[in-house]
Amino acid sequence: MKILVAVKQVAALDEDFEIRADGLDVDEDFLLFDLNEWDDYSLEEAMKIKEASNGDVEVVVVSIGPERVDESLRKCLAKGADRALRVWDDAIEGSDSSVMARLLAAVVRKEAPDMVFAGVQSSDHAFAATGIGLAGELGWPHAAVVNALDYAPGARQATLKRELEGGVSQSVTLQCPAVLTIQLGINTPRYASLRGIKQANAKPIDVLGLDDLGVPATTVGVDASLSRVRRMYIPPKGRAQMIEGSPDQQAARLVEIIREFKGA
Amino acid sequence: MDATAQTTRILFEQFSPWAINLFYAFGYAAIACFLYGCYVQVRKYRRGQPDASWGQLAARFGDMARTMLTHRTLKRRDHAAGAAHAMIFFSFIALFVGTATITLEVDILKPLFGITFWKGGFYLLFSLVLDLAGLGLIGGLLYMMYRRKWMALPKLDYTRPDRQPGDPDYDRSAYRREDWAFLWTLILIGITGYVLEASRLVWLSGDAGVWDSRFWSPVGALLAHSLMGLGLDASGAGTLRGGLWWFHGLLALSFIALIPFTKVKHIFTASASLMFRDPLAGRRLPKVPETQEAAGYEAITDLTWKNLLHLDACTKCGRCHEACPARTVGTPLSPRDVILSLREFANHALSASSLPDKAELSIHGKGPGQVFMETLWSCRTCLACVEICPVAVEHVPIIVQMRRKLVEEGEMEPILQKTLQTIHKTGNSFGESKRKRGAWTKGLPFPVKDARKEPVETLWFVGDYAAFDPRNQKVTQAFARLLHTAGEDFGLLLDGELNAGNDVRRVGEEGLYEHLASSNIATLEGCEFKRIVTTDPHSFNTIRNEYPEFADPALRGLFQIEHYSTVLLKLIQSGRLTLKKRLSHRVTFHDPCHLGRFNKGYDAPRELLALIGCTLVEMPRNRDNSFCCGAGGGRIWIPDPVGMEKPAQNRMKEAAGLPDIDVFVVACPKDLTMFEDALKTTPGCEGRFVVRELIELIAECVEAADPAPAAPAEAPALA
Ligand code: SF4
Ligand code: SF4
Repeated sequence: MKILVAVKQVAALDEDFEIRADGLDVDEDFLLFDLNEWDDYSLEEAMKIKEASNGDVEVVVVSIGPERVDESLRKCLAKGADRALRVWDDAIEGSDSSVMARLLAAVVRKEAPDMVFAGVQSSDHAFAATGIGLAGELGWPHAAVVNALDYAPGARQATLKRELEGGVSQSVTLQCPAVLTIQLGINTPRYASLRGIKQANAKPIDVLGLDDLGVPATTVGVDASLSRVRRMYIPPKGRAQMIEGSPDQQAARLVEIIREFKGA
Repeated sequence: MDATAQTTRILFEQFSPWAINLFYAFGYAAIACFLYGCYVQVRKYRRGQPDASWGQLAARFGDMARTMLTHRTLKRRDHAAGAAHAMIFFSFIALFVGTATITLEVDILKPLFGITFWKGGFYLLFSLVLDLAGLGLIGGLLYMMYRRKWMALPKLDYTRPDRQPGDPDYDRSAYRREDWAFLWTLILIGITGYVLEASRLVWLSGDAGVWDSRFWSPVGALLAHSLMGLGLDASGAGTLRGGLWWFHGLLALSFIALIPFTKVKHIFTASASLMFRDPLAGRRLPKVPETQEAAGYEAITDLTWKNLLHLDACTKCGRCHEACPARTVGTPLSPRDVILSLREFANHALSASSLPDKAELSIHGKGPGQVFMETLWSCRTCLACVEICPVAVEHVPIIVQMRRKLVEEGEMEPILQKTLQTIHKTGNSFGESKRKRGAWTKGLPFPVKDARKEPVETLWFVGDYAAFDPRNQKVTQAFARLLHTAGEDFGLLLDGELNAGNDVRRVGEEGLYEHLASSNIATLEGCEFKRIVTTDPHSFNTIRNEYPEFADPALRGLFQIEHYSTVLLKLIQSGRLTLKKRLSHRVTFHDPCHLGRFNKGYDAPRELLALIGCTLVEMPRNRDNSFCCGAGGGRIWIPDPVGMEKPAQNRMKEAAGLPDIDVFVVACPKDLTMFEDALKTTPGCEGRFVVRELIELIAECVEAADPAPAAPAEAPALA
């Protein structure tokens, strides 16, 4: 019995950051990297299933990214994951979530887990697409925004609750194996002590290249993606203004402003 | 002369041989019982982990002997109890040595070598000394009884703040019974000793050798005369003596037999505890050995033998219970009870011939003898308990070791978890960008050196609160101006500085501490400077006492650090800073735990206050008895429970009780934050006085526009 948890190392902005010269991303010097907050919860959910079992559950974490991602994987190992996989090839740089889903699907085929967890979304890019894209690639049952889960290791079905808009909950039963994207608050993630993280240095992290996964280099990267970043910028601030005066005057002023913008 | 020379103690006179044999049988049984008890105790300690406190035994022994002979630690904050204990202690020693010398003569020297010395003038003098010692013993014991029964001291109340009535561990009446049994047994031994002596005198009143020297035992003689006055004759006395002799003898032998099993064992355990005392306990926390897998204490067998010994040394005097700020405000922590819980646990789990299962050895939990998580997290690591304990029990290292386990297990408030993660990620507890650490220098009219880029005389380690907290930044700037005015060559580490780790370590996050300390040490090692200075007592403590253990042995001299109070004092005294004005405030001063109790920096702040003309009115709890603001041990990152008084509020009330105070002076960034907040939230205190940092007061004097007319003559520091 195996649970695969897909995690991501996300970036947070430091104070006074700068945009990279090519205008496509923030300069890495100004980024602080850490494990995506949602992934703390999906890993915890897997750990809870492992700890409630009689010991035959293996929790494997996987992430796509360069070497710095190892630090986040170590944190997962420190929290009790059994193994960690990191997928990387320079050709992957610039890929969007559709490519990530494709790569993860290749990992799933190789590892053959009974259940796959991912976070609902990542806190930096926030597409909320990778997990569900992965289910699509695999053609597996899936549920997004899961905030309660009832699943016994090896069971053929899982019952879960999904959080919908407006405070509505949906209770769902689905066939396993399945892909679930886990919502914040489903549990209380444990703390990884620094000693634990250091000791996790001893646990190996397997690095998988494209060849290991049987994914051709032509199917990854910017060119194989369904979307690409055109520009990253800081929208100008402080543009709101109150229009004073009588309704007539306000209407006139509004027309004027619209003209100004159109003209510009 | 011969009558006197022959005078000796009547021992087994008119005892039949079987009676003497019976007595010896009891004696040997008592000794066997005592020895077995000692063996069980030692076996218990040996089940703990090793500890390296064996060095310098002679010095340690000397230190212990001095402490015991002066009763220094026992007299503190309770002089009467200390004096009464001294009476019992010295009398007991005299009586014990007296009795032991009889055994030495009768059972060893006389049968083996034919030597007798228990006679003549020596005997008479000894009689006198022992007779008076009996008085001391009984007097001391009577005071202890009085104290227990009528003084109703809160520190002698054994009910526990962490358990509810109904819990088997709640009121611990067994302890009270044991106390009384102890007092009564000893006092009965003393009283029957006197009656025995008196009846012997009456019984042998016909024997001139005995009777004529009776006043060498004045109390016994007086009692003998009274008994005779009441109509006791020689034969009646003989009968009385026969019965009493056995009663007294058996009571004394039982007492000896039971020493290792009752509180009487403190005779040995307290002495040993004092001997293995660590002067840096709590100031320097134990390192986790590189080879050790798990950090912290999970099971009772994770404690070192020294910890286990300390547990047994506790005499339940309650001084730590009384001093503890967490206990005072009503949190479920009493340092005494942590010690007693663990002691009971150890006695239960480690006294059997074989060790129970690992699962039964866990000291965390809600069962009898286990310590609650809430209890451990209530501690402010203020060291008030360690500092006052008369028998050198070291509570804080044990509490922190237990917390280390909780941290490994993630058993802590989520908000604390977040803070620790923040510190790991950003290097400071404010979650601010590293780059902003030096932002406060922008408000200065002069540039500040980067000590990583150029050599400086003084390297200023700023610390999180002084660097990031807006209120404290003002103080930090003021100190920078003072250094600048004094012409001091100083520099900062700027974004190279990380949280010093003092409080992270006291939380129990040892891995994070190791990370912070080694990064800071590496940064410091790359700089050129003569000394380190800080305004933050927490950073001061860890850099001074703990960093050297993590540094390259050759570079340990690097960590010469001074708190600003001594720095400013020297600058003023040497005339490098001129006080242009004197303040005539009536102030009180709060000793920060990490400056005062931790590092004995009591005097410099007081001298500074005197120099700037302030009248100091001490709070009842001052200097070594200073009352923690509640922020220590990582508690600054955990909100105190609502509805419960905060330690800082308790302190505000204490200050408000002083007559006409203008300023409550602090010398620690965290204190400034805690007390300014507490002043606003303590009913009846707001507006009574203001909270100021000592630096601010000094800056006010140094930076005043013109010298006040009267000042030059008075201010001794004017150059
Ligand atoms: S260190 Fe302070 S708060 Fe902690 S137990 Fe001792 S006295 Fe109480
Ligand atoms: S630990 Fe020390 S101060 Fe506290 S009750 Fe025991 S002997 Fe007294």
